[in-house]
Amino acid sequence: MTAIDVRSLHKKFGKLVALDDVSFTVDDGEFFCLLGPSGAGKTTTLKSIAGLVQPDSGSVSLGGQDASDIEPNHRNLAMCFESYALYPQHNVFDNIASPLRSPNLRLPDGEVRERVGRTADMLGVGHLLDRGVDQLSNGQRQRVALGRVLVRPAHAYLLDEPLSHLDAKLRTSMRAELKRIAHGDLMTTTVYVTHDYVEALSLADRIGVIKDGRILQVGTPQQVWDTPETAFVAQAFGKPRISFVSGGLVNDNGVTRFISSDGAITVPVSGVDAQAGETVQLGVRPRDLTLHTGAGEQPAGTERLDGVVYVLEHLGRQTEVTLRIGESLVSVVASRRDAEGLGVDDKVSLLLDPARVHVFGDGDDGRRLSR
Amino acid sequence: MGTTTEPMAEPAAPAPAKQPPGPPSTANQRRAQRGSAAGLFGNLALVLYFAFSLLPVLFIVLLSLKSNAQQTTTYLWFTPTLENYQTVLGLGDGGSSYVRFFLASLATSTGAVLVSLLIGIPAAYAAARYRFRGSEDLMFTLLSFRFAPELVVIIPLGVIYQQIGLYDTIFGMIWVLQLVTMPLVVWILRSFFQDLPAELEEAALLDGYTRRQAFLKIVLPLVRPGIAAVCLLAFIFAWNNFIFPFTLTSGDAQTVTVSSLAFLGGNQVRFNLVAAGAVMAVLPPLVLALCIQRYLVRGLSFGAVKG
Amino acid sequence: MSSATAQAPPLANAPRVSRRRKALRPYLLSVPAVLLCAGILYPFFLGVSYTFFDFSATNPQPNVVGFANFKEILASSEFWASARVTLLFALAATGLETVLGVGVALLLNRSTLIGKLFEKVLIVPLMVAPILAAIMWKLLLLPEIGWVRPIVEFFGVHGYNGTDSPVMAMVWAIVVDAWIFTPFVAIIALAGLRSLPKSPFEAAAVDGGGWWLTFRKLTLPMLWPYVLVAVIFRLMDNLKMFDVIFGLTSGGPGTATTTLQISAYLEAISYARYSSGLTYMFLLWALVFVISMILVKYLRRLQNRAAGV
Repeated sequence: MTAIDVRSLHKKFGKLVALDDVSFTVDDGEFFCLLGPSGAGKTTTLKSIAGLVQPDSGSVSLGGQDASDIEPNHRNLAMCFESYALYPQHNVFDNIASPLRSPNLRLPDGEVRERVGRTADMLGVGHLLDRGVDQLSNGQRQRVALGRVLVRPAHAYLLDEPLSHLDAKLRTSMRAELKRIAHGDLMTTTVYVTHDYVEALSLADRIGVIKDGRILQVGTPQQVWDTPETAFVAQAFGKPRISFVSGGLVNDNGVTRFISSDGAITVPVSGVDAQAGETVQLGVRPRDLTLHTGAGEQPAGTERLDGVVYVLEHLGRQTEVTLRIGESLVSVVASRRDAEGLGVDDKVSLLLDPARVHVFGDGDDGRRLSR
Repeated sequence: MGTTTEPMAEPAAPAPAKQPPGPPSTANQRRAQRGSAAGLFGNLALVLYFAFSLLPVLFIVLLSLKSNAQQTTTYLWFTPTLENYQTVLGLGDGGSSYVRFFLASLATSTGAVLVSLLIGIPAAYAAARYRFRGSEDLMFTLLSFRFAPELVVIIPLGVIYQQIGLYDTIFGMIWVLQLVTMPLVVWILRSFFQDLPAELEEAALLDGYTRRQAFLKIVLPLVRPGIAAVCLLAFIFAWNNFIFPFTLTSGDAQTVTVSSLAFLGGNQVRFNLVAAGAVMAVLPPLVLALCIQRYLVRGLSFGAVKG
Repeated sequence: MSSATAQAPPLANAPRVSRRRKALRPYLLSVPAVLLCAGILYPFFLGVSYTFFDFSATNPQPNVVGFANFKEILASSEFWASARVTLLFALAATGLETVLGVGVALLLNRSTLIGKLFEKVLIVPLMVAPILAAIMWKLLLLPEIGWVRPIVEFFGVHGYNGTDSPVMAMVWAIVVDAWIFTPFVAIIALAGLRSLPKSPFEAAAVDGGGWWLTFRKLTLPMLWPYVLVAVIFRLMDNLKMFDVIFGLTSGGPGTATTTLQISAYLEAISYARYSSGLTYMFLLWALVFVISMILVKYLRRLQNRAAGV
């Protein structure tokens, strides 16, 4: 069953277009991530679902009911704000207990205490219950804000960057914790806003990529990774980022080939939905490339690209190598052993599996043309 | 999109910065380098200004303690007496209506502040939280009351008051004092409400509280110090007002500011009584002002300067 | 997380609030304030309408006289004399208060021991009712009992006559006004000084700019929006100042300190010529209104620029 149905939301703040025809659905018990850069409209979308932002047009349905005329306090949604929005006059316990004491639930004191304690322990703030909000670190505040959401049953959880202010280690463990909650026995529908693709990939059942108030693609983590709909979506996932080379398509004896603008790179591409002569860009993920050193055998079915080392970044066990091939820059992640002894301006070769390249139209908004 | 990444704001307004301020330290160092001549000169200027500032107060306090015989014959050395205060309060001979004036001041000022709060809090909240047509017009209409010459309203109001029986009544005074207190209350409270992130109320809504509950439980406690400060400031200005009670009352609702003139008239001018009356009339606002030092800047500037 | 014991009421039963009713909310909150404004604007417009009548205590059944009041008043030398007095008083008092106030703020901002002590009593004159302040000064200036005569005589000035001469009456009125309101300017300027960023001043100190240069090129421009707020409030207030002048001189001697508010008071209250008094008032109101519009617009531009909008 559909838990949340967002249908063609439009919203302007003055002249600024915040939402431009945003639509998606979230199924019951699904964990849905909204991924996008800051200013993309993620928070506005979340607040529209919550009823805090009145969209100019479009609708939000909750559990099949049109929610447009339902006040936020009757929507039975729990939201974690990026600014935390903790009540400064209350201590941690009262902040987390707030939804349980509201007219919607009005739980007895004993159950409130029990639930708040359990939630706070789970989030690692159990020892802070008597503290004032102003005595907490940002990371602690964020966990209290999350606690105010997780403590209660809700039709859906709306989480706005709930892990952004935690340090790296805590973020990883909290991510695991959230995953356990989300995919555990409870399965509360969750809309999770983030700008961190790792969070999205690891947590989400499905991901919606949003930019400039438009949803670019909705799909499972597998789908958005393997078949990104636009160049922007491809760029949003993976570090180092996907490398783009702009060029054109030519028909070479029935085989479509991509040739970069300077002619330095040519790769056969199949199943591309475009005419020869069109300006396109070729995207290659750095982990889909291998460094070809010395005179080793070139595996069958791979293409070889020759270039020179432009930048070397040693990152522990791996090395990120950026090569200049003609006028294009292409990144590759190599094992430290393979990159050993390499220096800037050294000549190297890359091996590329033509099945793993992506072809997009020109520019950031370029549509996917492969397959 | 409209998100703040800032950590939770301090309750209500941030306190005035207490750290050593910018320009002075550098100025101070230069002074130290040039020797203390300039610093000395500065201190001298300060002493002169504050002598000027406090002299009339000292004078009036001393005058209020002088007996009839001594008020025209001495400056500083005399035998202090409290008989002027007794006379003004009607405790000794003669009797007077000073206590009644004092109570009238209290009633009109308190009433004016309460009415302003009741009407002003919702309006200030609406102006701070919603963008709606006419909001700015309302705010500036209110502000224009603050700057309008009072007589423009007093003269027609006097005519109306005579007709509907509000002349020389406490209620009539409370109504007209809205010109003084309402702009103050609405403008300052709006600035306090604006300082609070709207997401606090939004969080309360999602917790399941109604808008009214969110306002009463979350917002109001946070701006309570601000509201208290506004109340006191509005009270002070209402109390200190002269032209409205002077023109629109004649006896029952006359206030202390007007009554102080009474001792100046008549054929026997009793300066020491004037002084005693003035001292007592000045005390309430002075004492209250000390309680709101922290919010004084914002209050006096109608929220234009946060302080 | 939750056991099944707690459930919020189902969505289907949720009360519905239409979009239109939501849009109405801020208006509903503002209704009382709007009514109050109406209750105050009504007498105002009634007063404005009186300016076209010949309404007075002796003529309770007034006739429409059109612009006769305006013509008469604008043609009278009293009006222009009064307007001149109003402007002179307002500009001089505002100027004096601004210079003194900013000066005091700069001195207090050095955070010397003596400054900290004085800062606590800075607001005292401001909290004294202006009418009482005027009366206090009236007594202080009286040659018979006041302290001013012995003080000026100590400095060798003779022939002190309080507020008896036209020039001195105006001077003292300005001084009394400045006595009350200099703290107002000082408090706002001090808040401004304390909120200025530190780094430009440190840079200036490193560059070795002199005190005066730093003040003129750095402090003053950055402080200006604050000072302007104070100036606006003071100028508007001083243009319509009644209490101080009424309490100190009642407009005298002669008409030396008869400002437009005093003129209007005399016309409307003392002589009960309502229409004539209101015409004075309306002209003053128009003056105040125009000046405040200009100043507020200028201030907004300044603040917007400061906020980088």
